[in-house]
Amino acid sequence: MTTSLKKIVTAISTSVALMGAGHAAADIQIGIAGPMTGPVAQYGDMQFSGARMAIQQINANGGVMGEKLVAVEYDDVCDPKQAVTVANRLVNDGVQYVIGHLCSSSTQPASDIYEDEGILMVTPASTSPEITERGYELVFRTIGLDSMQGPVAGNYIASQNPKRVAVVHDKQQYGEGIATAVRDTLKDKGVEIAMFEGVTAGDKDFSSLVTKLKQADVDYVYFGGYHPELGLILRQARQADLDAKFMGPEGVGNKDINTIAGEASEGLLVTLPPSFDQKAENKSLVKAFEDKGEDPSGPFVLTSYAAVQLVAQGIEAADSKDPFDVAAALRSGSFETPIGNVQYDKAGDMKSFEFVVYEWHSDGSKTPVN
Amino acid sequence: MQDLLYFSQQLINGLTIGSAYALIAIGYTMVYGIIGMINFAHGEIYMIGAYTALIAITGLTALGLAWLPLILIVALLCAMIVSSSMGWAVERVAYRPVRGRHRLIPLISAIGMSIFLQNYVHLAQGSRNIGFPALIEGGFNFSADGTFEMSLSYMQITIFVTTLVCMTALSLFISRSRTGRACRAVSQDLGMASLLGIDTNRIISATFIIGASLAAVAGLLLGMYYGSIDPLFGFIAGLKAFTAAVLGGIGSIPGAMLGGLILGVSESMTSGYLSGEYKDVVSFGLLILILLFKPTGLLGKPEVEKI
Repeated sequence: MTTSLKKIVTAISTSVALMGAGHAAADIQIGIAGPMTGPVAQYGDMQFSGARMAIQQINANGGVMGEKLVAVEYDDVCDPKQAVTVANRLVNDGVQYVIGHLCSSSTQPASDIYEDEGILMVTPASTSPEITERGYELVFRTIGLDSMQGPVAGNYIASQNPKRVAVVHDKQQYGEGIATAVRDTLKDKGVEIAMFEGVTAGDKDFSSLVTKLKQADVDYVYFGGYHPELGLILRQARQADLDAKFMGPEGVGNKDINTIAGEASEGLLVTLPPSFDQKAENKSLVKAFEDKGEDPSGPFVLTSYAAVQLVAQGIEAADSKDPFDVAAALRSGSFETPIGNVQYDKAGDMKSFEFVVYEWHSDGSKTPVN
Repeated sequence: MQDLLYFSQQLINGLTIGSAYALIAIGYTMVYGIIGMINFAHGEIYMIGAYTALIAITGLTALGLAWLPLILIVALLCAMIVSSSMGWAVERVAYRPVRGRHRLIPLISAIGMSIFLQNYVHLAQGSRNIGFPALIEGGFNFSADGTFEMSLSYMQITIFVTTLVCMTALSLFISRSRTGRACRAVSQDLGMASLLGIDTNRIISATFIIGASLAAVAGLLLGMYYGSIDPLFGFIAGLKAFTAAVLGGIGSIPGAMLGGLILGVSESMTSGYLSGEYKDVVSFGLLILILLFKPTGLLGKPEVEKI
């Protein structure tokens, strides 16, 4: 009984191992890790649709070094704990390249595992500076840093000559990081910071905060965080007749904020990566998305597309599938992508990336602010 | 004057949220009072109430109904019916079969039910935040010469009044009605009550139904007050309401009300005068302090060991 059971177990595990090996030999697996569910799934949709499109188009053009790219998708719910589980699963599945993760707080713990296991990671969305500050060899991004985005927001607010500014954040890596950058920029410009305070992500009641903002008589409020909290703050601020201009990072700039805040989202200021889908050279790509019924205008669609493309171009430039060779090739080369020409510095950050200030409207559209 | 207005505004904010906590806390405290278990799925019942109310409101508005009180009453009834049948079903499926076993078993069963319901709504309604239409807008504004304006919105008044009505009705029900008397009897001694001819199963079901209906009321009110709902929001509110129940003395209905209000006010005062970051630190620190000096909570009766 025991021996036969053992035999069966061995047989199954061998065949599973063989299946895995057979799969890996024929294709290059590209892991896509991001939130498919959870409160920021909207951003995950952008990431997945961009990366899928890139894989599809690269395969249609003959793949990479004669091999097809295969997408392997993972849901991390933008939760650091689940991100670690996802990273371990990727390791087990033998994936060598990851497009992800999305939230900085997920990317950070996951990247520790990738670096240890020799997996190349390109995040299309995580803007926390700490991710590339640790001297990791295999970590790249196709997006700018909070340390670039914060000053853009801070300089904009300072240029409007505000009386007093409040800076609020959600105590998470992304939100607090960017809020700190904004505060420091404002301080340098001599703007009075009336308060710098954290709220709890997932909270629903911001009436006390709004009362405090009213009392502090601020005319600008910067919020570092995501749309579920800012949406409610905007709405509750409007109900309490708080007369202040709100501003947030790209984490709040999506249409879900309109369903939460409704009319109160009109006039919100957001720093976003430039609209890559408006660039003339991306016309055919935009059309390809539209033919598929997908929206290429989200901030992370084309950065994800570019991330896949960079992995593919890196493999070809290195003429090797070893992630360390690919990383070296990415650092030394210069690559053309829909988000422009990409060159990497030693840390794995793009040498140049700009953020633009937009004004958000209650119908979900946005207009650039000069 | 300025400071007084600010204080009153924070007090109003705290009392509003506190009365809603109290409504949810009733469900925890009644169930604990009667069968001595903590119904961890109660927060999810509240969340389902909010979702049902939103679906009803959306449906009614789509049908072209415009008279606000009617929309609210129908939505409230729908939410109460769905939530209370859910509360009833949860008891039948997850708690009754394990009742009377070791304490841990119903507890684990309750946590399982909570996870199940949360994920069920995730799947059925999606995991994103859904905006809740602000049906009751406007309010009174008070201002002394200065710039700060205190506002008391109609929504906040609605929450106070509804809570007050629900609490009074519940107290009357428990103290005057036949079922209420049976509830008290079962809570004092389940075995003896059943020997005296009380259908204890029916009373326990009734407790779950009452708790769930009040949670549904809170779901509708808080959904409108906050402005958005998501499948996870029952979890946090449930945790807060459970704290309120323990603070006031679990098993005691006036205790749940008091606990809710204290928790709400301490939260808003902490965010108002200290920082929002310390909100939970202070409320849970308060809980620990009260439990240290009065282990049964503020209004809880000390448990006498039965011989």
